[in-house]
Amino acid sequence: MLKRNLSIFVLILALLVGVLGPVAAQEGEILRIDLTQEMDTLNPIYTNMWFSTTVMDLYLSPAWFIDDDLNPVPVLVTEIPSVENGGINEDGTVITLNLRDDIVWSDGEPITSADFVFTYDMILDPANTPSSRFPYDERITSIEASDERTVVVTFNDPYAPWLSYLFQTSVPLPMHVLQPIFESEGTIDFAEWNRAPSVGSGPFRWVEWQEGSHMRFERNENYFNDLAVLDGVFVRFVPDDATVVASLLAGDSDVGTFIPYSDAQALEESGSVNIELVNSSYNEGWFFNVDPETAHPAMLDVNVRKAIVMGFNRDQINQDLNLGITYTPGSYWEQSPYARPDAAPLPYDPEAAAQLLEEAGWVDSDGDGIREKDGVRLELRHVTSQRQIRLDVQVVAQQQLAEIGISLLLESYPSEIFFASYIDDGPTARGRYDIQEFSSPTAFPDPSFSRWLCTQIATDESPDGVNDQGYCNQEVDALFAESDRTTDFDARVALYHQIDQIITDDVIWAGVWYDPDLWAVNARFENTRISGADPLWNIANWSVAG
Amino acid sequence: MTKYIIRRLLQAIPLLLITSAVIFVLLQSAGDPLATLGGRVPPRPEDRERLRRVMGLDQPIPVQYLYWLIGNDWVLIDRDGDGEPETPGTRKGVLRGDFGISSVTRQPAMQIVIDRLPNTLLLMVTAEFVIITSALFIGIYSAVRQYSLLDNVLTSLSFIMFSMPIFLVAFGLMYLFAVKTREWGLLYFPTAGMFDPRVGPTLGQLAWHLVLPVTAVSVVSIAAYSRYVRSNMLEVINSDYIRTAKAKGLNERRILFRHALKNACLPLVTLVGLDLPFFLAGAVVTEKIFAWPGMGRLFIDHLARLDYSVLMAILLLITAAVVVFQLLTDLVYTWLDPRIRYN
Repeated sequence: MLKRNLSIFVLILALLVGVLGPVAAQEGEILRIDLTQEMDTLNPIYTNMWFSTTVMDLYLSPAWFIDDDLNPVPVLVTEIPSVENGGINEDGTVITLNLRDDIVWSDGEPITSADFVFTYDMILDPANTPSSRFPYDERITSIEASDERTVVVTFNDPYAPWLSYLFQTSVPLPMHVLQPIFESEGTIDFAEWNRAPSVGSGPFRWVEWQEGSHMRFERNENYFNDLAVLDGVFVRFVPDDATVVASLLAGDSDVGTFIPYSDAQALEESGSVNIELVNSSYNEGWFFNVDPETAHPAMLDVNVRKAIVMGFNRDQINQDLNLGITYTPGSYWEQSPYARPDAAPLPYDPEAAAQLLEEAGWVDSDGDGIREKDGVRLELRHVTSQRQIRLDVQVVAQQQLAEIGISLLLESYPSEIFFASYIDDGPTARGRYDIQEFSSPTAFPDPSFSRWLCTQIATDESPDGVNDQGYCNQEVDALFAESDRTTDFDARVALYHQIDQIITDDVIWAGVWYDPDLWAVNARFENTRISGADPLWNIANWSVAG
Repeated sequence: MTKYIIRRLLQAIPLLLITSAVIFVLLQSAGDPLATLGGRVPPRPEDRERLRRVMGLDQPIPVQYLYWLIGNDWVLIDRDGDGEPETPGTRKGVLRGDFGISSVTRQPAMQIVIDRLPNTLLLMVTAEFVIITSALFIGIYSAVRQYSLLDNVLTSLSFIMFSMPIFLVAFGLMYLFAVKTREWGLLYFPTAGMFDPRVGPTLGQLAWHLVLPVTAVSVVSIAAYSRYVRSNMLEVINSDYIRTAKAKGLNERRILFRHALKNACLPLVTLVGLDLPFFLAGAVVTEKIFAWPGMGRLFIDHLARLDYSVLMAILLLITAAVVVFQLLTDLVYTWLDPRIRYN
């Protein structure tokens, strides 16, 4: 027995030695960030994960950042292109990026227009499998380097949302590192740089990624802007929300993201953690199915939809479930200039809601508490994903709507099923719901959004559409199309106010809560300006107080 | 004996094939791996379709399984979506040692799994060491001092711990020994990970970070195992041959550890034999809560993205381990109990 125990002990020791890497301690002031999901890749063209694009702000620089006031801040370019500075031509189809003279990769090589063109080529090359080719395949006809410091982007039509996309999320890649790999292997899908970007352009330099555990970054001494104040960043992957909160409270980490509303108060009361609410255009809401083929007949009546919204106490959800941290939004473009200034949510008024249902012909004729019309019971399918708070909302909504004679049948699915496509027989994509609840952003910070276009309604012949509500209003389609072409900010805002008004009048969406991202940051750090579009855009300026 | 071992191994081949087919079909029914690609919004339909073709998800499930098993380097695939297959497949298939490429990380699936094994084994072997040692100590003590005050206390504690869900134990430990002890200015344990970045991954750091996860994994099993040891020891120490040994004047400790314990351990060996394959699977809940980068976490993370290649590699590894460890358990029986023979 002693021998066996000794053998096990030796095995444990061997494993301990086995998992010890060559890594040394990180010295100086280190920022420790806990993220609940691990990055899938560090190459920006291969991911649409929020966690990957957020970490990217550390080791790569986009053409411009979007700051915490949602304004573009030039990084690789000398100024943001505009008609006034000649960066945008008169018809809005050609945008010229003038690059700074002093921009360099972390290995000292200059960043040039060739890197921009190379990135464009890699996104479109059929040998590579990027997560998305938008907008480069659909909207752009060419990207060319007219000289070492000038990139000329030609669009097929004026494209107003370019600021949200163009070399902003698809950050320029180091051609001098990746081109030899592309030439020898025919693809950069499996390039080592994708997981070990030893050459970057951000304020920090990637050092190590131990999968499942952590990622380490050190200050980039060749950074072309002011050098980062902190010495390094340690990103740890902590999948459980409750552990993130415990780590923050115990002082084991400095930053946590997507903090549950229920924990925000305890963190703030600890005195050592600040909570920051960051707008990223998300609004939790109810999307109503108005497709005559798949929806309950009652859903086709705008007054019934209005009654559903007025019979559901959204303010109570915000107070009781979200502890008053959130509120009921009046617009899909809440907290942005694109929301109508007078936008306000429909009030909670169950009596008025019941009256609307009566007037629409839905009455409880058999006395079972549920209304009927022409022999059809007012029984609606409410579908959502399995996020706990959504399940809680379902139960509350079921009780409240029952009081006005509407029965809710509750369904919930894991997100990979809830969001499954039309081809994969996804429950929402196929319209097997009357009300679905989730949170969906615009092309933030741009307001563009394609869910409500007639052309996006999926069919067997055209299964790619994302408009699973079956909503079709040609006027809305025309306004969205016009707004996409309108590069003048004020004119575009006016167009969105019109869209917002129609969407509100048609009651095809009802906001449940304005859904900012909750960041928790240890109070010893200062200058922590977090943006919803580029969360760590000013990470170089983060410092320790005092 | 050799024939027996060869027969058991041959029987395992159809078992593994059937199991892999069943798991493959079940995983395919779990949802759409391209639904969100881990993002906060679903990808553009055009991109979804393009990636579906590249990943081979446009093929019927039996064809996908066939490619997973024997590869697709003997067929052309339609990469550009024009309806005409034009690109030679590159997968060699599991039978030729290729478990495929992870759709999340674009790395070889088996390599991802192997990279995580040391972390999981470190946690699980340490936990098993603690479990067996503690269970034997508690079980033997309780049997020898039956109905003593400590035996009654240990019995009560065993029932309480055995009834506790592991997540409750884990969070309880974390709250008490990491958050509150720090707040009270006492010695406290880390909440997550394998080391403090400001210190680095030293032996001491690893051991320190192991304390809470190992405790969380162990307490429920110690409670169960110690009850088995206690009841078996009670049965054995009251048997005739132990009485004979005592009558012959043998040393009490020698009787207990050399004669009684060996026979009392037989059911424990069965339990441990069943446990061993799951060493490889890791402790899903504990690894998630304490952010321990092991196989359990790997499985959960890749299940969330429906990364079939990695999930299949993990599940097949565990299936193979079950077969091998069951065989080893049967062989250990013959050593513990010479009356058992396999012919």
